[in-house]
Amino acid sequence: MSIITQAIANADREARYLSQGELNALRSFFEDGDQRLRIASILTANIEKIVEKGSEAFWQRCQITPSNSGNPTFRASCLRDQGWYVRLITYAIVVGDIDPIQTSGLKGAKEMYRSLEIPLRNVVECMRCLKDAALDLLTLEDRAEVGPYFDYLIQGMTP
Amino acid sequence: MTNRTNGGSPVTHPQAFHTVPTAVIAEAEQRDRYPKSSELKTLSAFFESGQKRLEIAAALTQNADKIVAAGANRIFTGGSPMAYLERPTDPIGMPGSRYYIGEDYLSANVRHRRGKGTSITQFKEPQSIDSTNTLVDQIASLFAQGRPSVPSRFRTISIAKYGTARMKRSMRDLAWFLRYVTYAMVAGDTSIITVNTRGLRGVIPEDVTLATVVALREMQWKAGQCLLPDSNAAALVKRYFEVLITDYLVEKPDDRLRIGVSKLHPGQPLPQSYYQSALPTPKLVVKPGLSETELQEAIRAAYRQVLERDVTQAYGLAASDLESKLRSGLYSMKEFVRHLGKSRLYRREFYEPFTISRVIELAHRHFLGRGLSCLEEFQTYFDVISEGGLPALVDALVDSQEYADYFGEETVPYLRGLGIEAQECRNWGPQLDLFKYSAPARKVPQFVTTFARAQKPLPDQHPYGVGNDPLEIQFGAIFPDETRHPSAQPAHFSSTSRRILISSGLQNGRRHNGHVEPNASAHLGRVPGLFGQSVFKLEPSHQPERGSHPQGPNVNLAHHSMDAVILGAYRQVFGREVFDSQRQDVAETKLKGGEITLRDFVRQLAYSRAFRQMYWENLYITKSIECIHRRLLGRPTYGRAELNRYYDIAGKAGFYALVDAIIDSPEYAQVFGDETVPYDRYLTPRGYALRSPQGPTAWGKPRHNPAIAGEWMAAQSTAQSAAQSAAQSAAQSTAQSASAVAVLDRQAEPASMAPSPVPNLAPEAAAHNGHPSSPPAAKPEPMATAAQPSEANSP
Repeated sequence: MSIITQAIANADREARYLSQGELNALRSFFEDGDQRLRIASILTANIEKIVEKGSEAFWQRCQITPSNSGNPTFRASCLRDQGWYVRLITYAIVVGDIDPIQTSGLKGAKEMYRSLEIPLRNVVECMRCLKDAALDLLTLEDRAEVGPYFDYLIQGMTP
Repeated sequence: MTNRTNGGSPVTHPQAFHTVPTAVIAEAEQRDRYPKSSELKTLSAFFESGQKRLEIAAALTQNADKIVAAGANRIFTGGSPMAYLERPTDPIGMPGSRYYIGEDYLSANVRHRRGKGTSITQFKEPQSIDSTNTLVDQIASLFAQGRPSVPSRFRTISIAKYGTARMKRSMRDLAWFLRYVTYAMVAGDTSIITVNTRGLRGVIPEDVTLATVVALREMQWKAGQCLLPDSNAAALVKRYFEVLITDYLVEKPDDRLRIGVSKLHPGQPLPQSYYQSALPTPKLVVKPGLSETELQEAIRAAYRQVLERDVTQAYGLAASDLESKLRSGLYSMKEFVRHLGKSRLYRREFYEPFTISRVIELAHRHFLGRGLSCLEEFQTYFDVISEGGLPALVDALVDSQEYADYFGEETVPYLRGLGIEAQECRNWGPQLDLFKYSAPARKVPQFVTTFARAQKPLPDQHPYGVGNDPLEIQFGAIFPDETRHPSAQPAHFSSTSRRILISSGLQNGRRHNGHVEPNASAHLGRVPGLFGQSVFKLEPSHQPERGSHPQGPNVNLAHHSMDAVILGAYRQVFGREVFDSQRQDVAETKLKGGEITLRDFVRQLAYSRAFRQMYWENLYITKSIECIHRRLLGRPTYGRAELNRYYDIAGKAGFYALVDAIIDSPEYAQVFGDETVPYDRYLTPRGYALRSPQGPTAWGKPRHNPAIAGEWMAAQSTAQSAAQSAAQSAAQSTAQSASAVAVLDRQAEPASMAPSPVPNLAPEAAAHNGHPSSPPAAKPEPMATAAQPSEANSP
């Protein structure tokens, strides 16, 4: 559900045209579009760097964790999951809504990690490192745009 | 025989239409990749053109009346058709609407009158909106250029002959078409028009269709005129109207059919519009002569479908020879999928950790893209897997007729979820769960239990489902203690069902003058079975005594002071003590001055903005009524008959009338009268524990809870357990036991103290903390156990 569909659904429920306030909200959404696309493409281009830096920092902070135990499969799947979450963040940035993170990133994720016996605290720590690594690449202005999405993800993962 | 199988009804938010961003993101997500640069360009263009489209939408909105009038004037004669166009009236603010509308700011008098059930629906006479304009417009438009010609068969419709009701409907529809064009303009995608208008022609008589098209053409032309200085904008509007007219004229498309499993379980149709509104699922086909990237994509899709993860990145896959066989054309896609199913990895992921029933369910998802359909089907495959194990099951599924029908030799299997085809009602909940990424995290079989439940008689269950509703009004019902996966399993609750309410003991008092004295035992303060409730009653000194009304014996304790009563009223009505800013100072002063009765005070609290926000604006209507009823009348509703009455009041007259209806009811007068603060009359021990600060866990050890078990017993058991643990620790080490005794001393006081009216479970907490053998709170995490296998399952 992006801001557009939300506005249309609201207006349709009340059988009216889009109000001035909704049009203004959409206008600013369109105006920021280029910035958001630019951020998304920066993240996309640097995904490997982000995951590499993030996981290094993560393994320094949490030395005892499944992915650092020397098992190549665990290591690879940890890296893959990190990349996957960064991708979800780029989706969310493009749409301008937390919906992609919510529906495919958070629903059931905690339970899944729990059933796989991965300590959730470490997952959250990993997300934090990922956030630091991603924000390092961005300008101050862009950070303000991206930060909240990471925060939402971290918040949702916190046990 | 009626089919009672019901798999629960989790909420879904089906896709109603696409916009450019959602379509791009969904496509990228389905294929597990970042948006491509071409897609980003599309998006960029979308954002850039956004301003333009918003301007057009705003202009269309401004000129909406003119445009609709133009269309209507073209097809109707003999009057002003615009007079029949009804504006959407302000709806009464219903719960869940999350907005606050003017109706509710009416003065108390008006509100009161409305609440009393005077005629609420006033019919407005059709007003002429711009009848002066239309004539001028008509004349002007006769000479305008580029007006669309009219087919010779078309005859204008006389308003008088057509009738008021049909006129209203026609005008509403014309406005509706224009509204959807503006929506589509904002969304930047015509899909919203297509989804909603395709096939409309089939439901409208042929002569009206002709007239509608004429009107739409006229509106198209008029809209273009309104935007004329900007030729690009005019062209864009023209194109959207063109889509509208074309889709309107298309014959109603056939339903999409889902193939049935057996004669007992036939197929189901899915209206085409649902299919159109869903996001397109990529159906990847592997054919000889495919390019490398396409082939790669298809292989990855197969991995995602069968193994639920992108294997290439994380696993050194042993299936590379499988891949090469697929590439060389030795295997078809079907064989490839079959061999994936028989691979070591599949066995390890989806066979070994699960029970057989769950294996069958997951395998259906992987190979057929749906959940189990019926019990017979399950039994068939259960036979297969017990005979031949996993390979036999995979063979049976891949060789089935259904696989051949849907996927054939070449197509990669895909999930047949919402919007792809009709979903079975009895499977709804389990099927939606099965399609989630987290499905393999659930070890318990879901379909089989659902089917099995259908054979049983009706369960003793709450109509909202197990643990689905935080209200603890689950009286007379027995619930499974499952907290991890509380199923959204509604029980049958017919219009004649009536809840069994267990009285909390307050009413079991003496009979007085032929009617039950409402709180005969309340003046004793606390009695067993009261669960820590106190009844607040105004002293007669605060209220002028009404001669005939019998008052209970006036043995008042300290908490019946005016401030305590006011505080108690806030606690009951809001469920907590309110913030200072939320207090109703005016009403408080009036109550203190004796101007209003306590009953009116409660009414004022319920009228307040804070109450409305808590219990009305953000809740769905049933829950809202339940909460308000419980707060004000002290009991849950009895059942559907009572709820229906409240639905009626809420829907027709709104929130304030609902509050009035409850407070003015004879039951309120009988039970609480004018002087008593409402209290929960049917509070169960479990319900009491639920609202204690520790939550439902407090109910786990009722012996320690003085409010439930009685003070003596609680003190006894607390002392006992403390003594026990002290003895234990003494055996372990003297240092520890010394500290335990110290703790014991400290806790002796709260245990014997009389509990306060608010749920206060301090003794139990103290007992926990004082328990030396319980692990200290700041225990360092055992790091060695953290190094566990992680097998991260890509969501």
